[in-house]
Amino acid sequence: MKSTIHDTRIGKLLGLATFLGAFAFATPSFAQEEGGEKKDEAAKNEEKPDEDKWFAVINADVFPGTGGHFRDATILAKNGKITEIGVAVDVPDDATVLDAGGLRVYPGLVAYASAGLFGNASSDFADTVNTFSPNLVMALGNGITTAGQSGAALKLKRGEVDGVLLKEKASTLLSYSSQNPQGKRSLIDKFEATAAYLRDYRAWEEEKKTNKDAKEPPKKDSDATILQVLKGEVRARFQADDRDELLGIARLAQKYGFRPVIEGCREGWTVAEELGRAGAYAVITPRDRVDKSEELVAAGGTSIENAAILRRAGVQIAIVPAAKGVDLGGIAGRDILALAIEAGFGVRGGLTNEAALEAITIVPARLLGVEHRVGTLEVGKDCDLLVCDGDLMHYETFVQQAVVEGKVVYEKNKELFYAHIRPNETSALAPPTRVDKGQEGAAKPADEAKDKDEKKPDEKQDGKDGEKKD
Amino acid sequence: MGFLARSIGVCALATLSVAGVGPSFAAGGTSKASDFVEERLAIVAAKVLVASWDGAQVIDRGVVFVRGSKIEAVGPASELSIPADTRVLDVGERWILPGFVDLHSHVGGSGGDINDMVFQCNPELRVSSTVVPSNRFLDRGLAAGVTTVLYIPGSGTNIGGQGILIKTSPQTFEAMRVREPGSLKIAQGDNPTRWGYGMGRPLMNHHIRDTLAKGREYAEAWERHERGEGPEPTKRLELEVFRDLFGHRTQISTHTQMYRLVLSTISLMRGEFGLDVYIDHGEWAGYVAAPLAVEMGVGAIIGPREIDAVGTRTPDSDGKVLSVSAEYQRRGPMQVGFNTDAPVVPQEELFLQATMGVRYGFANDALEAVRGLTIVPARTAGIADRVGSLEPGKDADILVIGGDPTDPRNAVELVFVEGELVYDAAAEGRRF
Repeated sequence: MKSTIHDTRIGKLLGLATFLGAFAFATPSFAQEEGGEKKDEAAKNEEKPDEDKWFAVINADVFPGTGGHFRDATILAKNGKITEIGVAVDVPDDATVLDAGGLRVYPGLVAYASAGLFGNASSDFADTVNTFSPNLVMALGNGITTAGQSGAALKLKRGEVDGVLLKEKASTLLSYSSQNPQGKRSLIDKFEATAAYLRDYRAWEEEKKTNKDAKEPPKKDSDATILQVLKGEVRARFQADDRDELLGIARLAQKYGFRPVIEGCREGWTVAEELGRAGAYAVITPRDRVDKSEELVAAGGTSIENAAILRRAGVQIAIVPAAKGVDLGGIAGRDILALAIEAGFGVRGGLTNEAALEAITIVPARLLGVEHRVGTLEVGKDCDLLVCDGDLMHYETFVQQAVVEGKVVYEKNKELFYAHIRPNETSALAPPTRVDKGQEGAAKPADEAKDKDEKKPDEKQDGKDGEKKD
Repeated sequence: MGFLARSIGVCALATLSVAGVGPSFAAGGTSKASDFVEERLAIVAAKVLVASWDGAQVIDRGVVFVRGSKIEAVGPASELSIPADTRVLDVGERWILPGFVDLHSHVGGSGGDINDMVFQCNPELRVSSTVVPSNRFLDRGLAAGVTTVLYIPGSGTNIGGQGILIKTSPQTFEAMRVREPGSLKIAQGDNPTRWGYGMGRPLMNHHIRDTLAKGREYAEAWERHERGEGPEPTKRLELEVFRDLFGHRTQISTHTQMYRLVLSTISLMRGEFGLDVYIDHGEWAGYVAAPLAVEMGVGAIIGPREIDAVGTRTPDSDGKVLSVSAEYQRRGPMQVGFNTDAPVVPQEELFLQATMGVRYGFANDALEAVRGLTIVPARTAGIADRVGSLEPGKDADILVIGGDPTDPRNAVELVFVEGELVYDAAAEGRRF
C-alpha cells in the first residue's frame, strides 16, 4: 500500500518540492510589500482567482470524525474547501489528485494549545509567524493542522503567511482559585454587576422602541470582558483542578448562563455530574497524576478515568499532551507531537476511540471558535486532512501526507524527520528495508502491496548495504 | 468485579471462595479446600506471551498453571488438561504476559536520600535502607504491570552505591527483596562532575579504575582464603560488594551515554576487569559502540531518552528522529531492554518506553518490545531464573491485559505477583 500524487494539469506543479520552491521565492517578496493592497494584488497575480483550484483524494478509507466511515471514497475540494465526500464523485480533469492507495484518511488534528510551532511568534500572529519552522513540519508530520496558541487559532499553512491566523481570540482567561478568595469574590461581583447591567440594557432596548425618552442604563460596575462572556462572544476559560474550585465554577456558570472551559480539571471525575449540568468543557491530560491533598476528606487527586467519567456526565472533552511545545531532548511521547498518543491514554481510561478522536479534532476546534472551518471532514469545511498508514491512534501509525486547504504540505517520504521509519517504496530518503538474518522479513504495510510497484527488488533484499549506508 | 465474575470453572456448580484471590473465582472439582496445601490456578487466555529467552514466544489460546507462588506449566489449552481440583480463570479474549522488570528506578523508597555524595566513589552505600514498601509510585507502577524493579542510587558520584532488586507489590521489605546487591551503580561523565571542582573525565576514570582494582584485590584475597590458600583478609565494608561482583553474583549498572563513554564502559569494566556490566541510558549516539558491546557480551537497557534528534549530542546527527533502541538493535543485533529512570519517566510508563521505541523504528516482529520489558532486563540482571517469562519454575508474576501491552489504549486489568492477585482494576478502581 502506498499513496501517490498525480497532477493532471499539463506544465503545472508536479509535487511538493515544486510547491515549496514556489512559495519560498514568493514569500519574501510578500513580506517586503508594505501596503495591504499591494500584498493582495501580488496574491491575486499569483493565485489567478478566476481559475478554480480542484483537489481530490481518491481510494481513501475516510474517517470523517462525524461517526461512521466511507470505504474506497473520494474527497473533492474546490479552492481549499470540501465540496463532496463519497464513493461516486466526479473529479474534474484539472484537479490535483492524491491517491491514498486504500490508506486511512482523517481530519487534520487540532491542538488546543501549542507553543513554538510558528517560530518565536507569541502574539500579533498575523505579522510574526514563521511558517518555515522545523517544529511546524514535525507537527504536520504528527497530524496537527490547526493549533491554538495564546488563545488564538492558527492554521499550519506551511510556507504561507496569509490565512494562518484563523481567530485572534476565542476565549478569555478568568481566575477562580481557592488560593485567592478575594479574587474569587471579585469575579462573582463582576458577574453579578455585569449580568444586572445586561438585563437593564436589554430591557432598555425593548423600551426604546415605544419610549424615545428611555434612558440607557449606566455601565457602572459591569465588566467589558464578562459582558462578552455573557453575550456568548468569547468563552470563559478557567485553569482549575481542585474539586471545590470546579464546583464553584459550575455554580457560577449555571447561575449566569455560560458554558465554562476548564483547563486541567484533574478532580473533575469527582464532581462530573455538576460539571455536566453546567455544560462545561474540560481540557484534560489523561496521564496527569497528582495525589489528592491529605487534607481532603472526599475522593480526590487524578484518575486515568477522568476523561471517560466526565464524558459520560455530558462534559465535552479536549485532550492535550503534558507539554505544549516540541521536545527533542530525547524523552518521547509527552510533547505536542504525542497528541494522538495522549488521546490513547483517554481510551485507556475508558473513553471510546471515537470520543478520543473528537477530543483532538472537533472539540478543541469548538473551543478555539473555528469549528465551522476545521475539526471534521464535511462539505463546506476546509480540506485539512491526513493520509495515515493505519489507525490514527495506533503508536506505529505515521502520517504519510498532510493536506491543508487542499494542498499537500507534508509528505513523510520526502521529509528528513521520519522518512527512514518503516518506509514505503516511494521514499527517496529511506534506506532499503532491513531484513535480519534468520527472519522472514517484517510484515510491514510497505511489503503488503507489491502489486503496485515492484521496481527495486535488489535493493529490498540487500539489507546489509542499507546498514552500512547509514 | 469485571470479568472475574465471568470466569469459567471446569465444574460450573462449585462456589468455593478462596482467600487472597477474590471471592468470585469459580472453583472446579469436588475436592475440599483442606485437600491441598497449595492451590492450583489455571489462567486461560486468548494469547499467552511466554517471552522465554530462546524458546516459545506466543501461545494462542494458552493456559498457565500456577501452584503456590510459582508457575507450574504453560502450554496450549488444547494440549493441557485441567485437573479437577484446579480453579480456572478464563480471561477470554484477553492476553497474559510476564510482569515487567525495570532496571533503572529511583522510586523504591523515600526519595531524596539516595544520592549521598560522600566520596567520589561510594561502593559501600546501600539504597536498601531507604526502601518504602508499597509507596504510591510503586503502587502505580504495579498497576501498569511493573512487578520487579532495580532500585538504585543516583549518579552524583562515580560510584553511587549498591542497588537492590525488589518486587513492587509486597507490604514488607523482607518479602520485597529479590536480590541484594541488585547492582553496583557506576556513573561515568556528566552528573558526577557535580561532586566537586576539577572532576574531569581523566580523573573520574582514574577513580573508577582505582576502586575496581582495590575491589579485585580484596575479592581475590577472599577467594584465595576460601580455597584454603591464604589468610583471612580483614573485612572492609566498602569493598564487600566486590566479592559479589567478581564472583559474578551481581552486575554493574552503568550511567553511560555518548560513544566515548559507552566505549569506556565496555573496555574498562568488561575488558579490563571482566565484570558483568550493562549499558544503562546509552543514548546520545552511544549505540555507535553496539557492535563492540555485542562482541564483549555487554547488554543495553535504554532510557529514559528513547530518541536522538535535532540538537542532541549525536556526532553525525542530520536531524532525523532516531530511536535509540532501534539503533542498538540495528547495529547489534542485540537484545535491548527499556528503563524509566523513574521518576524521570514515571514508573507506570515503563511500557511506553518500548512503545516509543517501536514508533520510531525498533523492530517488533518477534515480540522484541515485550521482551525488552521482561526477559531481556531479567537476564541482564541475572534474575531470569525467577522472573521475566512465563515458564515453569519461575515466579507467577502475571499480567492480564486487553491486548497489545505496548498500545497505551490497553490498560492492565489484573496483576498477580508470586501467585497472589495484587491488583484488580475492575474491583478496586483503575490506578493507571
